[in-house]
Amino acid sequence: MKTSRRKVLSAGLATAALAGIGAPYITRAQQKPPRQARMVPQGDLNVLDPIWTTQNMAAYHGAMMYDTLFGIDANFRPQPQMVGRTDISTDRKTYTFELRPGLKWHDGTAVTARDCVASLRRWQAKDGAGQHLFARVTDTPVVDEKTFRIVLSEPYGLLLDALAKTSTPLCVMMKAEIAATDPNTQITKHIGSGPFRFIESEYRPGSRVVYERNADYVPRSEPASGIAGGKRVLLDKVIWDIIPDAQTAASALMAGEVDFYELPPIDILPTLTAAPGIKVEVFNKLGSVGQVRLNHLHPPFNNLSARKAAQLAINQEDIQRAAVGNPAYYRTCGSHFACDSAMGVEDGSEVLMMKAPMAQRQARARELLKESGYDGKPIVVLHATNIHVMNQTVLVVAQQLRQVGFNVQLASSDWGGVVTRRANQNAPEQGGWNVFYTFSGGNSTASPISLFAHAATGRKAWFGWPENASIEQMRTEWALASGLEARRAVAQRLNKTMMDYVHDVKTGQWVQPHAYRGDRLRGFLPIPENIPWWNVERYA
Amino acid sequence: MLSYIARRLLGVIPVMLVVGIFVFSLLHLAPGDPAAIIAGDNATEANVARIRASLGLDRPLLEQFGSWGWATLRGDLGVSMFSNIAVTKLVEQRIGPTVSLALTTMLVAISVAITLGILAAWKAGSLLDRAVMALAVTGFSVPVFVVGYILVYFFALQWHWLPVQGYVPLSEGLWPWLRHLVLPSIALGMAYVALIARITRASMLEVLAEDYIRTASAKGVATLPMLLRHALKNAAVPIVTVIGIGVALLMSGVVITESVFNIPGVGRLVVDAISRRDYPIIQGVMVIFAAVYVIINLAIDILYSFIDPRIRYS
Amino acid sequence: MANSGTAEFIRRHPTIVAGAALLTLIALAAIFAPLIAGDPLVFEPINRLRGPSNTFWLGTDSLGRDVYARMVYGARISLLVGLSVAFIAVLSGSLVGLLAGYFEKVDAVVMRLMDGIMAIPSILLAIALVALLGASVKVVIIAIAIPEIPRVTRLVRAVVLTVRGLPFVEAARSNGTRIAKLLRRHILPSTIAPLIVQATYICASAILTEAGLSFLGAGTPPEFPTWGNMIASSRLYLQIAPWTIFAPGICLALVVLAVNLLGDGLRDRLDPRIARRM
Repeated sequence: MKTSRRKVLSAGLATAALAGIGAPYITRAQQKPPRQARMVPQGDLNVLDPIWTTQNMAAYHGAMMYDTLFGIDANFRPQPQMVGRTDISTDRKTYTFELRPGLKWHDGTAVTARDCVASLRRWQAKDGAGQHLFARVTDTPVVDEKTFRIVLSEPYGLLLDALAKTSTPLCVMMKAEIAATDPNTQITKHIGSGPFRFIESEYRPGSRVVYERNADYVPRSEPASGIAGGKRVLLDKVIWDIIPDAQTAASALMAGEVDFYELPPIDILPTLTAAPGIKVEVFNKLGSVGQVRLNHLHPPFNNLSARKAAQLAINQEDIQRAAVGNPAYYRTCGSHFACDSAMGVEDGSEVLMMKAPMAQRQARARELLKESGYDGKPIVVLHATNIHVMNQTVLVVAQQLRQVGFNVQLASSDWGGVVTRRANQNAPEQGGWNVFYTFSGGNSTASPISLFAHAATGRKAWFGWPENASIEQMRTEWALASGLEARRAVAQRLNKTMMDYVHDVKTGQWVQPHAYRGDRLRGFLPIPENIPWWNVERYA
Repeated sequence: MLSYIARRLLGVIPVMLVVGIFVFSLLHLAPGDPAAIIAGDNATEANVARIRASLGLDRPLLEQFGSWGWATLRGDLGVSMFSNIAVTKLVEQRIGPTVSLALTTMLVAISVAITLGILAAWKAGSLLDRAVMALAVTGFSVPVFVVGYILVYFFALQWHWLPVQGYVPLSEGLWPWLRHLVLPSIALGMAYVALIARITRASMLEVLAEDYIRTASAKGVATLPMLLRHALKNAAVPIVTVIGIGVALLMSGVVITESVFNIPGVGRLVVDAISRRDYPIIQGVMVIFAAVYVIINLAIDILYSFIDPRIRYS
Repeated sequence: MANSGTAEFIRRHPTIVAGAALLTLIALAAIFAPLIAGDPLVFEPINRLRGPSNTFWLGTDSLGRDVYARMVYGARISLLVGLSVAFIAVLSGSLVGLLAGYFEKVDAVVMRLMDGIMAIPSILLAIALVALLGASVKVVIIAIAIPEIPRVTRLVRAVVLTVRGLPFVEAARSNGTRIAKLLRRHILPSTIAPLIVQATYICASAILTEAGLSFLGAGTPPEFPTWGNMIASSRLYLQIAPWTIFAPGICLALVVLAVNLLGDGLRDRLDPRIARRM
């Protein structure tokens, strides 16, 4: 069956070769396709410790070479991964986990309960959801080689969700001696137990990362779903080519030099899809959520009316049109917790989502701005010019703020410059700022406690430093609520409070299609905020 | 002769000292915080502060400069703040592509440019001369990356003759290596061709006007061979000078070309490092680039003194 | 008589005339930009990436801004960058060069400093400066100018060293003429011709360098148009909206061409030998 198909194929190609077309492809088609794939990821993998940093690429790396105790499935439910059996005590305060048999580190030794406890401890020191959980953890005793417990002071419904999360930092398992590294120091040895091995000798930060199949890996028997289920590896080698220039990456995909391009700019999709064999698909339905962060520490945005004026000035449709382009990939959204997610409630978003004509909204914004006592002092808007979506969005936001009477001064730099400056709590004229823009993954945004940007703890909160006791109280209430419906009810109140307080201003939500050689690869799993390479097969 | 070389070698020390002080103070006096970038987008301020401390960025500036300077003198350029890999190792991994690109570009550029320059001088004032010079000026007027995209569009996407991007080391075969360098060398060489062709033409014209050449042509020595034998030898000094200047130009061009053609060279290493504020890499590569520049120019100066001994004493 | 003189000048120096004419045209467009083009900053995202039409003569860019207006206004900032860089580099370079050439004690120190700056690859220095200080037209101008200073310094110093030995300067020196006067009266004039030529080349390369910096994400802020950042930010649209890149691209090439032509012409006319050697 297979042979005959290939015969037909090569016969066809031979004719093509006679006609003088497609010459470079003949040799490749006649051989069995190499069991390898090349991906152009969204950025560079320059830190190999997925706990030390919260950079997205480190989480991708984590999912390749490490394994997790639990994993989120396609329906966002936590499912066991390394864990074979889970026992929950009747008071719901003791969780007993037994590792499934056959788990091995890449150096051949067996995975033990001691390793897992050490890894949990290191992870929780860095992760927001982990910290929230461990504030209620009294002990993590090791029972035997394969069994350990998490003992809580009060029931915590999100325990398994936290262990199963797909967004950075993933709760990955490392060997105990590596996990003993101080969480604020980078690990130096890279031994995982995941489906792929990281080939350190071929690692070139800024250029390429190479993974090979872990032959010792024992996948679960369930079918793969989300980041859970059986991680069956069908490729021998996965190479990440770091190509920063979008035009070059797109050309490489069209020429077949790479197989998968994670973040093709949406504007050039028509060019890509016109090329034969290229498929464009959205894996992460929750996409990304944009937000304008206002500095709550300094005038004018320490004043609620001024913040409301900004909220009225923002027109999500215009921003998304400029930043994303094709309306098929974006939507306006009045939720702080990502629309289309389980928590995607839009209570209290009337001001932001007002259907009134823009002129009317702007008039109201001007009134509010006057009430706030804004004196026309320049407001500093941080502007990252080297990331397409950020550059476009900030230029639109600047124009929209100007139209309602803000005296906008753009502080342009690369993203590195924004990252440095946004941490400055001083007044704008002393190196601080008034407004900056960023976006976060829809999946992490959907959790009121997971995303640090949701915190309203003043100077201890995320950049912008909003301070609001009722928001904080409701976040905890949300985490402790049992069941989806109860949590949703809290989310509704929380969203309204955050909208009224103008915690930050959401600028809309969009999904990022990936472009890949559908004529070669199949079997991708839709997972939020990660690109797994198990289950993917090279068929031509 | 030897004392001349020794004197020139000693002159390298203050120059490199200037480079070191300049680069270090540039990075450390300007705002910029690698720790904030390392920590990632979802990190707390406390995390960032701890990372900053672990990188030694909270120590006094003079102390940081002292330890960096001393280590650099011993050939230790530190480790990347992100990947924890030694800067010398990173440079070693990246130097092959950059040197390959620079060499092929120089080869293409010099051979094309000197030919064009001689042709233009030979037929000075003719249509050929004007065409060559027009080409030279145009080559100088279009940004490298635009040339690059256009070349890729035709040669890689339309006609499938050459790859779009990437680099293959020479150890994997001469042809694969060369294939990946053809388009980048042409894109990068354009400006370079323009520069050298113009200077070659100018110095050739100058020499052609001198008496002994005129005598030679009156004697009936064949034109082109004569041109090559007499004139090129005399025009060598200014041409070599320009190649020296061109090295600096090339180094700058390499940075952009490596990005367009995704060549994992030193230029991209440092551009990435700048955008992440990875100080050890930026400092290390700048110092290495500067040293290479200084050494090449030193070599050229010494070469001159062989070509034209008068220079030594001035 | 005057007419035939003009014709003669054009015939003898076609490059100067062509370059100057082209530059004048572009400069006029830059000066009268508000009269001949609309607002280059405002936009409606709904109009993005429209092809050329009656409303938008050269189409719109990825935000919906008028490419024609940005092209015309872009002349202002692009020329500003080119001219300011040339001005700063020539002014500070010749000052340093004069001092270095005249005073032997200054010479050693200053020239090592200049060698040091020259040794750092100019584009890396510029990217680092812009990345660390933030992108503004001012920072970009300074970042491009600094690496040019050593070349000017060397040129001026070389001229000064030559002139200083000439009999009339020696004579003036022994007559006790004050140094400042000596420099101004006798030495500076000899440097003018090569400096003008050098300035044109610096101007042309500054405009190109700005484009390169924009490509690397370290150019002038994208809000205000320069041809360089228009090309760099439109490179993604080369296939789907070529007008966004061709308009500024042609302008950039033309102005660099014009400045180079002017420079070549002036070099041949003013002082062939010194300029050519550089």
